[in-house]
Amino acid sequence: MTATAAPPATDLAAQVQGLSFAYDARTAPSAGSPSGASESAKRTGQALDGLTLDVPTGAVFGLLGPNGSGKSTLLSLLVGLRQPSAGEVRVLGQPPSAAIRARIGLLFQETSLDPLMTLRETLWLHGRLYGLAGHTLRTTIAQRLESVGLADRADSLVSTLSGGMKRRLELARVLLPSPQLILLDEPTTGLDPDAEAALWARLHDANQSGATIILATNKVHEADKHCRQVAFIHRGRLAAQGTPAQLKAGLKRDAVWVEWPDLPPTLADEIAAWEGVGKLTWAHPTLHVTVDAASAFVPRLFQAAEDGIRAIRIRESTLEDAYFDIVGASLSDQGVEG
Amino acid sequence: MSALAACGALLQRDVRAVLRSRSQLYSTILLPLMLLAILGTGVSQGLDPTLVRDGDYATFLVPGMIAMAVLFSSTFSSASYYRDRDSGLMRVMLASPHSPRVILLGKALAGVSIGGLQALAVLAVAAAIPAIDLEWQYGVIPGIALAAIGIALLALLLNGFAQVVASRIRTMQGFHLVMNLVLFPLLFFSGAFFPLEDLPAWLKVLATANPLSYGVDLLRIAVYDDGPGYFGLPLDFAVLTGLAAALFAWGLQRHPGYHW
Repeated sequence: MTATAAPPATDLAAQVQGLSFAYDARTAPSAGSPSGASESAKRTGQALDGLTLDVPTGAVFGLLGPNGSGKSTLLSLLVGLRQPSAGEVRVLGQPPSAAIRARIGLLFQETSLDPLMTLRETLWLHGRLYGLAGHTLRTTIAQRLESVGLADRADSLVSTLSGGMKRRLELARVLLPSPQLILLDEPTTGLDPDAEAALWARLHDANQSGATIILATNKVHEADKHCRQVAFIHRGRLAAQGTPAQLKAGLKRDAVWVEWPDLPPTLADEIAAWEGVGKLTWAHPTLHVTVDAASAFVPRLFQAAEDGIRAIRIRESTLEDAYFDIVGASLSDQGVEG
Repeated sequence: MSALAACGALLQRDVRAVLRSRSQLYSTILLPLMLLAILGTGVSQGLDPTLVRDGDYATFLVPGMIAMAVLFSSTFSSASYYRDRDSGLMRVMLASPHSPRVILLGKALAGVSIGGLQALAVLAVAAAIPAIDLEWQYGVIPGIALAAIGIALLALLLNGFAQVVASRIRTMQGFHLVMNLVLFPLLFFSGAFFPLEDLPAWLKVLATANPLSYGVDLLRIAVYDDGPGYFGLPLDFAVLTGLAAALFAWGLQRHPGYHW
């Protein structure tokens, strides 16, 4: 087993330069597929468009962007399952290859388990594919099942597990060969908060033991809470990168999202100058602004707007507001309703 | 990261799945044996098949039924391919430190092994039935070895073909439609159900162009005492080996395709 043999040649776990990838007609996701590429990506087929990114070794690194922004494509390029049309990729100091995949663990968004295998068989097959064998494999399987709380189900069929248990089994499978780099594609979709917390507890353990984690997500709170570095991905490009605190630096306490299709530009300028108002971003039909106190700002806004406002949403500021301020587009693609 | 170990693990896993799914295990063996018993006896008694092995149609059917078991099994094996694709396990395997070809090879070898063993089981049961009279013109052990080689070549050929079809057709329903439309007609004029010797010329031409005919011919040479067969051993071997190698290699070239 080579999982821990060769240390990375650089202090970067992943390095991406000018990376582009376009889906051709044959490989493009079919219309109506749940992974639903954004409208612009569907038209052009361009999933990544000159993306440049460095992920330091030992990081918990978040790729934050809406569905179709190119996050999953980036992960598949990192492990060499797809070839870029332009640009360069290095993972763990080397170009992606079958050999380098021995040191990478992948957790897919959708469940990827054979329901007619037992838990033990599932891990056994995976271990064999990663070069583990014999006593080492058997004891590692027992340890991993224990660590995700599934030891007593080792000989049950996967089909008898609940959704949360399946995810834990998949996590045990990812961690089985002790990967140096763990790639997560929206790993907590469909999990309840407890299951999500348990999953992340195990991932942070793995990170403590030296594994670098790259998380692709469109869940703001997940990136904010668990990632030390976050990159905003928009239409296949890097829009911003930093710690969650750095990215949120310009935000005021409350975020106000207003659907206001015919906001006069002069009025927007006037609002931006009000006291306690931070950065104001206008992307038709949404006005987005962070303010010191929504309780003072909103009544004043309605007075100024008269009949123009269709909907309004008020929350505490999060990375989602930073994303909108920087990118000028919503993470959820649903604006005020989202 | 030994490719051999990976193939072995994939093989072991698919064999275990077949053993667990009893219906698949038995149906592949049972249908040929039922045809042997019912169609064989029925035709022997109800018609006047003096052209066929002194009226012993059941014995005549044995090689054809062995070929049929291989055919069934290779179709079933590809169901495991679809199952892996739909369950998502295929993308996990493709993300492992092996090239897609190693993964496909492991699965294809599993299909070949399972199909081969099931066909040998049909032969064993047929040989054990007192009413069926196998003659083994080269002796029992060489005859079984010859039959086993024929079965292996047929299994490679049919699994290769199934792999090529499966990589092109998205749904399992579509796959079964194609397999039924292409392979079962081939079985009908392969010499499995009637001897090729006395057929009209146009059917002889079709049978000569049919790869399965060479497999059935080889099996007949192995288990009977009829002399050199319809095509003869050298031609049987040449055609089966060539096609098996070509189709199996072609099947491995086809990328399984993943949805991520």
